[in-house]
Amino acid sequence: MSNPFTSPSSHATKPADGMPSGVGEAELDAQALANLAQLDPTGANKLVQRVLTTYRSSMARLLAQLVQARAAADPAMLRLVTHTLKSSSASVGALTLSTLCATAEKSLREGRHDGLPALLDQLVAEAERVDVAVFHLLNDS
Amino acid sequence: MSLPHSFDAEDSPERPKVLLVDDDELALMLTAEALRGRGFDITEASSGEQALALLVEWTPDIMVLDAVMPGLDGFDTCRQLRESAGFENLPVLMLTGLDDDASINRAYQVGATDFFVKSTQWSLLAGRLRHVLRSARTRQELERSKSKLARAQDLARMGSFDWRKPVGGHHPTGGLTLAPEALRVFGYGPVDRVSMRGLVRMVPLPERQGMTRVLAEVQSQNTVLAIDVPVTLPDGRMRIVHVEAEPEFNEHGHPIGYTGIVQDVTDRRMAEDRIRHLANFDALTGLPNRRQLIWRTERALDHARRLNHQAALLLIDLDRFKIINDTLGHAAGDELLVEVARRLRSCVRHSDQVMDGALESAGARGHRTLEAVGRLGGDEFIALLPEVTDEADAERVSVRILDAMRESIYVGGQECFVTASVGIALFPRDGNSVADLMRNSDVAMYSVKNAGRNASAAYSPMLAGRGREKLELESALHKAIERNELVLHYQPKIDVRSARMVGAEALMRWQRGGTLVAPGDFIPLAEETGLIVPLSEWALREAARQAKVWQVNFGFADSIAVNLPNRMFERTDLVEHIHECVSTYGVPHRAIQLEITETGLMKDLQNVIPSLHRLTEIGVEISIDDFGTGYSSLAYLTTLPISELKIDRSFVRDLGITPQSSAVVTAIIALARSLGLRVIAEGVENLRQMEVLHRLGCGVMQGFLFSRPIPPDELERWLQQTVLPRKAPWIVQAGAERLEPPRTTGRRP
Repeated sequence: MSNPFTSPSSHATKPADGMPSGVGEAELDAQALANLAQLDPTGANKLVQRVLTTYRSSMARLLAQLVQARAAADPAMLRLVTHTLKSSSASVGALTLSTLCATAEKSLREGRHDGLPALLDQLVAEAERVDVAVFHLLNDS
Repeated sequence: MSLPHSFDAEDSPERPKVLLVDDDELALMLTAEALRGRGFDITEASSGEQALALLVEWTPDIMVLDAVMPGLDGFDTCRQLRESAGFENLPVLMLTGLDDDASINRAYQVGATDFFVKSTQWSLLAGRLRHVLRSARTRQELERSKSKLARAQDLARMGSFDWRKPVGGHHPTGGLTLAPEALRVFGYGPVDRVSMRGLVRMVPLPERQGMTRVLAEVQSQNTVLAIDVPVTLPDGRMRIVHVEAEPEFNEHGHPIGYTGIVQDVTDRRMAEDRIRHLANFDALTGLPNRRQLIWRTERALDHARRLNHQAALLLIDLDRFKIINDTLGHAAGDELLVEVARRLRSCVRHSDQVMDGALESAGARGHRTLEAVGRLGGDEFIALLPEVTDEADAERVSVRILDAMRESIYVGGQECFVTASVGIALFPRDGNSVADLMRNSDVAMYSVKNAGRNASAAYSPMLAGRGREKLELESALHKAIERNELVLHYQPKIDVRSARMVGAEALMRWQRGGTLVAPGDFIPLAEETGLIVPLSEWALREAARQAKVWQVNFGFADSIAVNLPNRMFERTDLVEHIHECVSTYGVPHRAIQLEITETGLMKDLQNVIPSLHRLTEIGVEISIDDFGTGYSSLAYLTTLPISELKIDRSFVRDLGITPQSSAVVTAIIALARSLGLRVIAEGVENLRQMEVLHRLGCGVMQGFLFSRPIPPDELERWLQQTVLPRKAPWIVQAGAERLEPPRTTGRRP
């Protein structure tokens, strides 16, 4: 029995055909980041830095869990990972990633597994781009 | 209720305590930060397990729960929370995904208060939290006032109910919902199910039909329902339940049912019935009283007028009842009246109750329930015959009454024979109103008394000739003052301990031609005609004059008591008049003392009190006459400006004979002592009475034992010849008990 959550090819970094391109310029939504900054207007709490740092570490943990879950073909674990990554990504303005997570979570919830491997591949690729963007953002500030 | 006008932190004076639960570290951090900035006090938990552990020792104002979490998720956390005591009503806001309908439904199923779609729009979340908190507070208050209402309703034996009109073929009697308090009213437990039919069956049959008629009528008109219905509770107790309900309408204006309350009003109704009974029935005999009789007679006359028939009023007065009362005592007299009442009842078709409704519905014969014997007061009774064919009809009843009296009556262990005099007045022949019929039956009754008693007579205009006599008496009394026919006689008041006179009571006499008319024969007429006012004024002047004469003759320095009727106390010029009298003769104000009977005083207390105060201020003392025979309110006695209580002669007479009378006298003396009042006994006729009174603590007395009321010069002689030489038997008696030398009051200047 084949694993419904893994791609036929062992490498999942290449985006699937027909998927929206052009991501990478604005991985992080400016408005969302502004909202975030608004929570700590004086910057005294270094909230943005703390959030972004936490986001990176939590994303690293979640992506590891994702790989694990795909290998183990564990839809519940996959759901939890996509759910969590969805909301935290939205918080830091990684809207594309958040949307991909939402789509994946919905498919999982509804038990529609066709097209899921490609979606998850795309999600991981986007996550890596976001991570890079966050990394730059942290270094800039 | 107004909606939250803003989401400001100032909305609530305190920072609401929020327990925030989310497994996502980032979301937790952000949400916490955002809410803290908006006035909330945040405690974070990263799992359901951790949250529940925190709640063991601490209670937040609200809990915000992420729905999707590893381990114990939001739904399970919420369910466990609701199952633990004290957290049934803690507001819980569940955070769910945007398009996750299933989660939203599950959130409500596990008992979440509300849900909120996760977003980064923090101000919306803060607003929602405040809204949920406010609703929770409102709900809490509502619960509190609901339970308060339930408690109040329970105390008032009241409960609410709802009734929905039958819809279609279901529930032919409609849907009835009773609050637990309402179930209690009907004797059911809070979980018992009661149908409309079941309730109707609790109403006893005779009333049930009337009630269903009222219910149907009210329902068809959609009017307000307010009825009292008797019910038999499941345990057999009879109660009266008041039902009050208003119709309810749907949005189209169609009536859909009734909502209202039921209340157990049994106690109130019993009290009302009791009051009604007390107001309408004589307490001693249980017969209708004067008020009830007048009411019944008015109804009977209305009916007679309408149906054009005759009615009769029979006035029944016992012969020589006073003698029985005087020789056997009040208690025996009362016993006799009760027996007479019982016999009289059997002479007519007596109905205790007149049903107002029956008068209407029973048509031509309804007035028969008015027929009754009643007690006017004292030994006077009345029989009302609502329909008679002629005078002979009424006479037959009076013969029955006289016959019923013939048999002896045992009272106080003695066999008594009582007869009665009956006066008959017929409507419309002898009068058109209740007052006319009463007066004319009275005239007829007196004609029987004059003719030798123990008979009956119908009224005739000839009998009214008596009235002429009265007129003559009245005009003669008018002239009595001008002609100096009135005199005052004086009865000394004696302090038996010192064997001296300490004052005198003035009593009016009328020397008409060669005879001395007793006060009983002209004072009532004087009161009736208003002549009592000039008579009283004359008496006050005369007493002041006499006080001066005695002062000059033998150094009299006490007071002369003048009896005044209560209407004199209502006169605003009484104080001025007394002032004028004493000034004219040069005696102090206290030379005059006023006596008012207890009954007169209590009858008109409010109008009399101001005078009493002014009189006391100028030194005129007030004595309460016939004390013990009326119904003084003790509360008033303590505040009234009075100086003396006069024990009624009826108690004195029975002293040493019945234990009751000495009990009453003892009580009056104790009362007087505690109020700081003097006490004097009147009607002392023998040494035995004097001795008992003295022993009970009453030392001042008046009565035949010492002296009857005598003209003033005779009184002086009496003092000189009897009191000063200490020659009377009562002086020896008193002296034996106390070795106090008499004060010398008889020294001539």
